[in-house]
Amino acid sequence: MSASLQHIRDEAWQAFEARGLPTTRDEDWKYTDISRIQALLGDQWWQSAATEPCDAASFVIAKLDAYRVVIVNGHFDAQASDLPASVSVKSLAAMIQDEPEQVSELITYRDDAFLSNGIVAANSALASDGACICVPDNTRLDKPIHILNVNSGGTTHLRTGIHIGKQAQAEIIEHFAGNHNNSGLTTAVTAIRLLEGARIEHYRLQMEAPKQCHLGRVEITQQRDSSCTLHATEIGGMISRADVVVRLQQAGASCTLNGLFVAANRQHIDHHTRIDHNAPHCTSRENYRAVLDGRSHGVFNGKIVVAEGAIKTDSAQNNANLLLSQHAEIDTKPELEIYNDDVKCAHGVTVGQLDQNQLFYLKSRGLSDDEARQMLTFAFADEVLAKMSNQAVRRYVEHAAFAKLPNISDLEGMLG
Amino acid sequence: MIKIENLHVSVAGKTILKGINLEIGEGEVHAIMGPNGSGKSTLSNVIAGRDGYEVTQGSITYKGRDLLAMAPEERAWEGVFLAFQYPVEIPGVNNTYLLKAGVNAARRHRGEQELDAMDFMQLVREKAKLVELDQSFLSRGVNEGFSGGEKKRNEIFQMAVLEPSLALLDETDSGLDIDALRIVAKGVNTLRAANRSIIMITHYQRLLDYIQPDVVHVLADGKILKTGDKNLALELEERGYDWVREEAAA
Ligand SMILES: Nc1ncnc2c1ncn2[C@@H]1O[C@H](COP(=O)(O)OP(=O)(O)O)[C@@H](O)[C@H]1O
Ligand SMILES: [Mg+2]
Repeated sequence: MSASLQHIRDEAWQAFEARGLPTTRDEDWKYTDISRIQALLGDQWWQSAATEPCDAASFVIAKLDAYRVVIVNGHFDAQASDLPASVSVKSLAAMIQDEPEQVSELITYRDDAFLSNGIVAANSALASDGACICVPDNTRLDKPIHILNVNSGGTTHLRTGIHIGKQAQAEIIEHFAGNHNNSGLTTAVTAIRLLEGARIEHYRLQMEAPKQCHLGRVEITQQRDSSCTLHATEIGGMISRADVVVRLQQAGASCTLNGLFVAANRQHIDHHTRIDHNAPHCTSRENYRAVLDGRSHGVFNGKIVVAEGAIKTDSAQNNANLLLSQHAEIDTKPELEIYNDDVKCAHGVTVGQLDQNQLFYLKSRGLSDDEARQMLTFAFADEVLAKMSNQAVRRYVEHAAFAKLPNISDLEGMLG
Repeated sequence: MIKIENLHVSVAGKTILKGINLEIGEGEVHAIMGPNGSGKSTLSNVIAGRDGYEVTQGSITYKGRDLLAMAPEERAWEGVFLAFQYPVEIPGVNNTYLLKAGVNAARRHRGEQELDAMDFMQLVREKAKLVELDQSFLSRGVNEGFSGGEKKRNEIFQMAVLEPSLALLDETDSGLDIDALRIVAKGVNTLRAANRSIIMITHYQRLLDYIQPDVVHVLADGKILKTGDKNLALELEERGYDWVREEAAA
């Protein structure tokens, strides 16, 4: 490892040691108590690696024609992977060996953000592997890249870097999965950089095993006229949090965040998003929905910061939450900080149960109470999923999301 | 087909229907007219089985069975259909999928084979023509973004697909322009059958120019105050409802 990479990782480790994990006293972590994760995994929670093998093949997405980067328990599996020829895709571990300078840049993706909290710092110090994708200028990736991270429990730290060159275009599916009954923690930090005119459709599918915890972060930096669509779905895991930070750095950049979380039992799912409008004429669209059943707890915090110079900002945020059980809970909070007058910012929040008028309408047409509830729940959530342009991914997520809710039996029929 | 006896209904503690008596035979078309707020929608909601209506007295017998003991979906399977006064929008629930689920639930209930996708699509296309509903509406969300007239046409389209034994049309004519009214009326007339009874709730006698009722009732102050033939509708149009009230009070 080169001195500078080593230095950066040492610095991250020291920051982690000094800061520790965020606590519920931090405003930003008020509702998500990660001391529970520590309690679950023990003092050395950051290094309790899994040993059991796991079967990556079972998480292949049906009908998805894509390149594949497979990472098993935090280590790249070359044999299971299928990398494109035209675009550089490497494993982080290989890059640490061969191109440490590049890794330094990936880890310090912006200023000192890699030290911003204990989790990111730990990930920066400890990330063992991940996908590093670089799409050259004026290149359009001919197929999506499916980054499949599977684990059999234990702690893994994943670091992904995506660089889309000028006027280049890519579709990337970042997928976290496991099928086991072990406790564990995945930390996953993904940095996406879009140069001038670059476009990405990025899917983040958090489908961890039921006892796995997941702390994820996506940092997106956008230059002039670039466009980013992020589909963030949180379905699995016991305690999970996803932080999405978008920085619209130059004029004409636009981002769309489509989020869905579906929680049941005692699941805890937290979504924090932050969009920084740092330049004029940028557009952001954010639509997050939650379906909460059982005794699950959801958190949504959507922050939009419009800088002084970011005139003609066009921003709309919506968060809708469906509570299927009287014991389910949501804490939702939009936060707008606007430092100039020449902006268009709309936001709205709703929290509710299934609509009685709609239920009666469906029943009056012959649907049973269960069927009517399923159909309305499905329609509510699918409004977000319908925005996915990749139909294979959409179907896959629909199945995963609805398999865990009771009474969703005839999904195939509903998908028509 | 249906026999309503001494029906008293209250909503949120307020008595709305105060002893309705009504009997409709197979194949008959009855019109119910009455001023706003007289309880017409309350009556149709009680028949369709909506929650929140308390039947304090009386009974409804449908095809010889106690209708009030049946769940709303069971009533639908048994052939009760309500065309809503205000059809609700259900974004994301596909119009055709809803109907397919409804038709097949009723078929299962009757012990019949479910329709496969092909047969069903054929049925749906044919019925859509009946109310001149553009095919594109079939794949849209239920009433999603429909105009007022399109929603009413969609209700009659659903009626055509579900082929009920008892159809309640709650002010299906309100808010329709003449062309739409003609289309809806033509649809309903096509659906008249010896084994199908229809209750048309309306404010306006103009609907009855297009669909000739066998019997006309006046519902006011929670009661059927007067029953007659279609000439009664003409008289109501001319003279309003007060004379009926006065006559009933006398
Ligand atoms: N859900 C309800 N809660 C309270 N009052 C209601 C409700 N539904 C109807 N009503 C009242 O019952 C009366 C009859 O209403 P409705 O049956 O809709 O009349 P119509 O259809 O004849 O215009 C009205 O006074 C109305 O305000
Ligand atoms: Mg009414």
